[in-house]
Amino acid sequence: MSEPILEVSDLAVAYGANLAVKGVSATVSENEILGIVGPNGAGKTTFLETIAGLLTARRGTIRYRGKRIDHSSVLKRRKLGIVLIPQEGNIFPGMMVKENLEMGGVLMPAKERETQISYVYELFPMLKERARQIANTLSGGERRMLGVGIGIVANAQLFLIDEPSVGLAPKLVTSLLERLKQLKEDTQKPIALCEQNIKVLNVADRILGMEAGESKFCESLDAIDKGKVRELYLGLHA
Amino acid sequence: MVLDGIINGIIMAGIVALPVLGIAVIYGMTGIINFAVGGIGVFSAFLTWYLLPYNMPLAIVAGLVVGFGLGYAIQAALLTPLSAKRGGDLNLFFLITNNIGLIFVGLTRVIFPRPIIGIPLPRLGTINILNVQTSGLKFLALFIAIGALLLLRTVERYTRVGKSWRATSQNLRLARVVGINTSRAFNVASGLGCMLAAFGAIIWGSLYNLTLTSGFDLTFLGYIIAVVGGIGNILGGMLAALIVGMVLSFSAYIVSGSWQSVILYGIAIITLILAPRGILGSERSV
Repeated sequence: MSEPILEVSDLAVAYGANLAVKGVSATVSENEILGIVGPNGAGKTTFLETIAGLLTARRGTIRYRGKRIDHSSVLKRRKLGIVLIPQEGNIFPGMMVKENLEMGGVLMPAKERETQISYVYELFPMLKERARQIANTLSGGERRMLGVGIGIVANAQLFLIDEPSVGLAPKLVTSLLERLKQLKEDTQKPIALCEQNIKVLNVADRILGMEAGESKFCESLDAIDKGKVRELYLGLHA
Repeated sequence: MVLDGIINGIIMAGIVALPVLGIAVIYGMTGIINFAVGGIGVFSAFLTWYLLPYNMPLAIVAGLVVGFGLGYAIQAALLTPLSAKRGGDLNLFFLITNNIGLIFVGLTRVIFPRPIIGIPLPRLGTINILNVQTSGLKFLALFIAIGALLLLRTVERYTRVGKSWRATSQNLRLARVVGINTSRAFNVASGLGCMLAAFGAIIWGSLYNLTLTSGFDLTFLGYIIAVVGGIGNILGGMLAALIVGMVLSFSAYIVSGSWQSVILYGIAIITLILAPRGILGSERSV
């Protein structure tokens, strides 16, 4: 295993007096998908948003390529290559699909941005077909893909993806997760992927199990009891 | 008389449209209704008046630059950090921006030697439209307002900076995540809004008089128009400016100029009751 790109140690995050994340530690390495699983309210989204800089940690450290970033602004973390693809509000609703993708590459030169957009069109051909369509007229699944596409254009060095499959039909979930795996293989970039769908086990290299803000385990896929993961964190219905 | 009223109404709409555009730009981007816009605009217009005897073009540019700079600096130093800390608390921002406006009334009184001024810009001749005589300066004001509107629309639709402004106004959180410098976008929008108000105040001061408190008239007139049109909705604001321009123009003919404020505020109240989001709906788009 290569050196970790991201090292989170003893991270605690609170909303007022309520601790949402209680001392969670995890690492993500190059060419690796870390699946973060757990029931609603486990603290998964809070965990990702704190790494992205949208929330401030009460305790613990976040290191990116060996340097502490837990006091850096969102913009500084973005410039380092950390890109969050949020679960909700992941598109610019009144802008065209192509304009949304352009915003993902707002920090890069036009030529590089166009190359990235072409790669997104390869991954999600429907986005090319709908390039001039206003984003809020897309279906739920198409919006999710656009949200992921914005993050891909951003040429992230570390992807933080929050539950991309929520509300999608099973076939679309499979397709989306396979594309994320392809993204990892194409770019060799690490991905931290929050997911409640059982199919995350088909793409993740390691699994971090969270419950009530606590880390229950963080193991490679081969080392964990998949049945237990299914039962405890993903739900048998999934 | 009707034709005279219509032409004067259109021109009046152009003049009052400038501060409205300022309010719309600031609200569209930041979500804050800035009541200091008029005070800053009038302060900048007083500066233009003060420098006018030295060099006219330079005096106008100085007024606009100072308007932009003040809007930018106040947003950067006070409003953006406060908004990040407290969120969009409308009451808080009403009080704070109103007080900033009052500070500029005081500063105008302290710094400039006269409390009432007229800015002696050249009249630019007389233009005759269908036998109605109007000064060239009034027409210029109208064209400046239309030009500013078209320029803003073009910038936001077709330039990278404009698109990042639209993105910020539509989804602030995602804009931050993708790397748009949202604080700078707020500051520039606020500077731009105050610069438009300064332009409006300079034109107003050249056609009528400017007093220390004209900023509040300008702000509240701009605010009424923004409410009637739909706050933040530039097109709605322009339509409302046209309605208000007609009211200002015709009320002077039909009843008396003294009734203007009664009719204007009455229209604002009726609009708020019947269409709380304005005639074309409120939107946060630049």
